[in-house]
Amino acid sequence: MSQLAPEITDVHAIVDEVWRSFLGEAEPLLARPVPAGTPFDSAAVWSASVSVTGGWQGTVTVEVDERVAAELTRQMLGVPDTADEDVADAVGELVNMVGGNVKSLMPGPSTLSLPSVAAGRAAFASESVEVARLDALWAGQPVRVTVHTAAQ
Amino acid sequence: MKILIADDSRVMRQIVIRTLRQAGHGGHDIVEAENGRQALELIQTESPDLVLSDWNMPEMTGIDCLDTLRAAGSQVPFGFVTSEGSEEMRARATASGAMFLIAKPFTPEAFDEALRPVLGSVG
Repeated sequence: MSQLAPEITDVHAIVDEVWRSFLGEAEPLLARPVPAGTPFDSAAVWSASVSVTGGWQGTVTVEVDERVAAELTRQMLGVPDTADEDVADAVGELVNMVGGNVKSLMPGPSTLSLPSVAAGRAAFASESVEVARLDALWAGQPVRVTVHTAAQ
Repeated sequence: MKILIADDSRVMRQIVIRTLRQAGHGGHDIVEAENGRQALELIQTESPDLVLSDWNMPEMTGIDCLDTLRAAGSQVPFGFVTSEGSEEMRARATASGAMFLIAKPFTPEAFDEALRPVLGSVG
């Protein structure tokens, strides 16, 4: 059975809009072809995810290089220095926005969880299936957004 | 005017404050709450003229906060700033008595359009 999934073009449009709203147009997010199954290729990563439960069940995950996370946080807060708690807040807000917009595309009614954030790359349970993935580069550093659902 | 901003993310509260300024609605007194329950308490003690609230928060959600306020007879102007902008969420917000729902990500223009009826035009 095929998994109900958001269109990748919609996911791309959401991420692009969220990205531009925080980081402006000066440094665009560039799509990047990465073969399926390739682990996120960054030595130091922040990751965050939200889950949607109800009419559609899925998890939206964002992984960014720590330099991207730090810059995102500086831009969001408008401050030169960032503490871990600020980065966690900023990356969590990023996935909340992407996840909330993905939820709006899918059949409802459903509930969006609060974000969970970690310093480290995301790992997924064996029963989860990747149904959409966006790999990109921002200022030369990797960014990944994935959508997973449970296997049917 | 006094504006209460309820969001569990400090980053988001800062962004809302900055966007208010960019939208030409700077200079108001700002009160911050980290969740719906704290917002309820601060609405009683601070009597804000407007509440801008996230939907999804720990302790008490924004919609539960609004429902509690209206059940208690409070008619404080209340708007959502949330990542969930579906028709279903908008309908639920309106049914509970919200004035508007601003979907994240947002622009200063979207803020001005939503807030002008409450705060008046400026500048």
